Amino acid sequence: MRGPGEYVAMKKGLIAMLLAGGMGSRLNILVSKRAKPALPFGAIYRIIDFTLSNIANSHIDVVGVLTQYKPLSLMEHLDGGTPWDLFGRTRLVEILPPKTGEASSDWYKGTSDAIYQNIGFISDFAPEMVLVVSGDHIYSMDYNDLIAFHRDQKALATVCLVRVPSRDVQHFGIAETDDMGRIVSWVEKPRSSKSNLASMGVYLFNRDVLVKTLSGAARRRGTDFARDIIPAMMKQKRVFGYIFNGYWRDVGTIHSYWQANMDMLQSSSGLDVKEWGIKTSLAAKGEIGDRPSTYIGRTSLVKNSLIARGCVIEGEVRNSVISPGVMVGKGAKIIDSIIFHDTVIGARSLVQRSIIDKQVSVGSSVCIGSGEAIPNKKFLKHLSTGISIVGKGAHIASDISIGTNCIIMPDRQLNTARHKEVSSGSTV
Amino acid sequence: MSSVLAMVLAGGRVDELLCLTEHRPKSALPVFATYRIIDFVLSNLMHSGINNVGVLSQYRPYALVRHIGTGEHWDFVGRSRNIRMLPPYRGFKASDWYKGTADAVYQNISYIEGFKPQYVLIASADHIYRMDYRPFIKFHIENNADATISFTRRKSRSSRFGYGVIGRGGRLRNYQEKPSKPPSDWVSMTLYLFNCDFLIDVLNRNAKEESHEFGRDIIPNIISTARVFGYKHEGYWAYARTVDSYYNTNMDMINSGTTLKDWQIRTNLLERSARADRLPAYINGDVVNSVVSEGCIVEGKVRNSILSPGVIVQDNAEVVDSIIFHDTVIGKNTMMQKVICDKDSRIGEGCSIGGFGKQTVSREFGDLLHSGIILFGRNTVVPDKTRIGANTTVYSSARISARCVDPGSTLR
Repeated sequence: MRGPGEYVAMKKGLIAMLLAGGMGSRLNILVSKRAKPALPFGAIYRIIDFTLSNIANSHIDVVGVLTQYKPLSLMEHLDGGTPWDLFGRTRLVEILPPKTGEASSDWYKGTSDAIYQNIGFISDFAPEMVLVVSGDHIYSMDYNDLIAFHRDQKALATVCLVRVPSRDVQHFGIAETDDMGRIVSWVEKPRSSKSNLASMGVYLFNRDVLVKTLSGAARRRGTDFARDIIPAMMKQKRVFGYIFNGYWRDVGTIHSYWQANMDMLQSSSGLDVKEWGIKTSLAAKGEIGDRPSTYIGRTSLVKNSLIARGCVIEGEVRNSVISPGVMVGKGAKIIDSIIFHDTVIGARSLVQRSIIDKQVSVGSSVCIGSGEAIPNKKFLKHLSTGISIVGKGAHIASDISIGTNCIIMPDRQLNTARHKEVSSGSTV
Repeated sequence: MSSVLAMVLAGGRVDELLCLTEHRPKSALPVFATYRIIDFVLSNLMHSGINNVGVLSQYRPYALVRHIGTGEHWDFVGRSRNIRMLPPYRGFKASDWYKGTADAVYQNISYIEGFKPQYVLIASADHIYRMDYRPFIKFHIENNADATISFTRRKSRSSRFGYGVIGRGGRLRNYQEKPSKPPSDWVSMTLYLFNCDFLIDVLNRNAKEESHEFGRDIIPNIISTARVFGYKHEGYWAYARTVDSYYNTNMDMINSGTTLKDWQIRTNLLERSARADRLPAYINGDVVNSVVSEGCIVEGKVRNSILSPGVIVQDNAEVVDSIIFHDTVIGKNTMMQKVICDKDSRIGEGCSIGGFGKQTVSREFGDLLHSGIILFGRNTVVPDKTRIGANTTVYSSARISARCVDPGSTLR
């Protein structure tokens, strides 16, 4: 920390630290080549766009982005912050990868360790408060409401909480609050709980308390906000819970990711990207830039679907989310599915309730996602709700039939001789 | 290609496009849903590795100025790469409004000399085509030419073009601008390559004359005295000189399978937030053989039409054979046929536009508007339940108060 009277070139009242290192391993092959925050969402967005747009729309103008796991596509996507107007003399997005050379530097060992290793970055702006957010979630929030709450309560730390279905408490940090909004109990991923207030991974700290607690935790080898920092701060009593009432999804599982995409098609879902003012990057290669508008052919039928630029749709598309550059051949049917960039679906093929990653080539008369409801044998916890996923760059030859809950690994070549029929629940 | 400087002629004011060019030069006219016409020549220059470009413009240039911006969208930003708008200016003497294409270049000779190029490529911004200029430049150099003109073949002869007769070895034997009887089917693309010294010499001489057009005054003059060659370009080449040709060119996107995807045409992505803040198209209607852009919401029926970003087609509305520019809203139960509708228009509910009175040509512009097309200028507001006949033009400041607008009308 700086001594008194030391010059601070860019003083800020508040800065944001965005945790974008998450692997999101329950998303299986969808995150085998990218970090979870970089996962495409809603045809043209990436998951991190939601948090970055929230930050920009809340007029927060300094953001440190903590990356560790496969950061390249993320770095390209951030494009210096320009898409979110976070570029200028006093406005910036800075990528903070792990580094060596200082006493405390190393791979990030956890969420709070990542912030601890970048205390120097925080101090450069001498902020009064630090907002720590995760880049993993789909929601729209004005952080100024949280900041006002934090100030009114004279809190040292405030944790954002959202109500989740009781059966899901096992995936989250669960808090109980008293009448004043103070957090009185905090359990990480309980089997069951009488509270259903889950942590959103959004924390607001007074900087001095944060720095002190991080340093203390580091001495005791604490590395995680939920496990180490919040419990330590709760001993000082002024840790509050701010209850957020809007749409919020973790999209940490294949089913919740699929469902949140489908919510884009349902105006009653509460997910309203247009209203929320979510912005995305146009710079990344192959994104939207050089593509012409989408052509809908003479024999096509499109219902309740989002279709991005550069597509050629000759077949039928229903209740689906289609990314840029997708080709759907004549007589093909895409139903309840999510198709990523530049994938080609051949004539007369049927794709149901599936997620097809980028640059997949599907031949003609292929059938994906139909058949018995058998959970995936290898990844039972990841795939049991009937969704099949095809990895980036896979090639599926004509006439192949793939069942439900199947996983086709990235870059796999499926030929008719060996894989005529991929039964439900298989992993190829 | 550092030895080539490009001068793009983008200022043309055209009356033939009526209300579509009321607020913008033709080069800034939207085409193929999300581009402006000038994008094609700028993308060609970029893909040909030509790094320095001057854009000559004088008619209502602000749409163009905003569109070109810093030039970053075409990679014209860098130590040795740049694009400049060159508006008319006042100097000590001759400077004045550009008096023709040649005069526009002549008044910017000092800009050209600043780059010390060996060759100057002069291209019109008004044409839609994909061309690698490098073979054209190579042809010019190999022939040791003073000037080379690019031609494309058009079977249907018209008096709107310049025509060339190209001899063996590529020598240009004859050139006639807008002849009543074309001497060949090779049409000038308004694309010239000049040796820089030769160009400056020719422009200085032309400056003393009365008329200052490349096609009419300069080319016919230099054929006999200098080494002038004709280059034959093959491939798609379209233009928008009239309402009909503008309409048909757009329709090529859906009817003749023009493979724009492979052309890699670049445009300004940020302008009007065309891309950044718009959702992908949401389609829940009945769309056939049409182009739909981001931000569109289609609940009704769309046939053989082109929708720019942000167009909303409400329930049970029907858009047929039409070209709809950005952010226009078409109300419920409205039928539109063969309409070119400019940006930000509001078409009410239960309207019937087009589809009757096709035989009645425009009373004011009979030679320009006779094939049944209806033109709506920017911000047109059509009240609910209005009927509008074919061959009608609505200028952007016009107020429509009649319940029925007769075919062939002009509203201002």
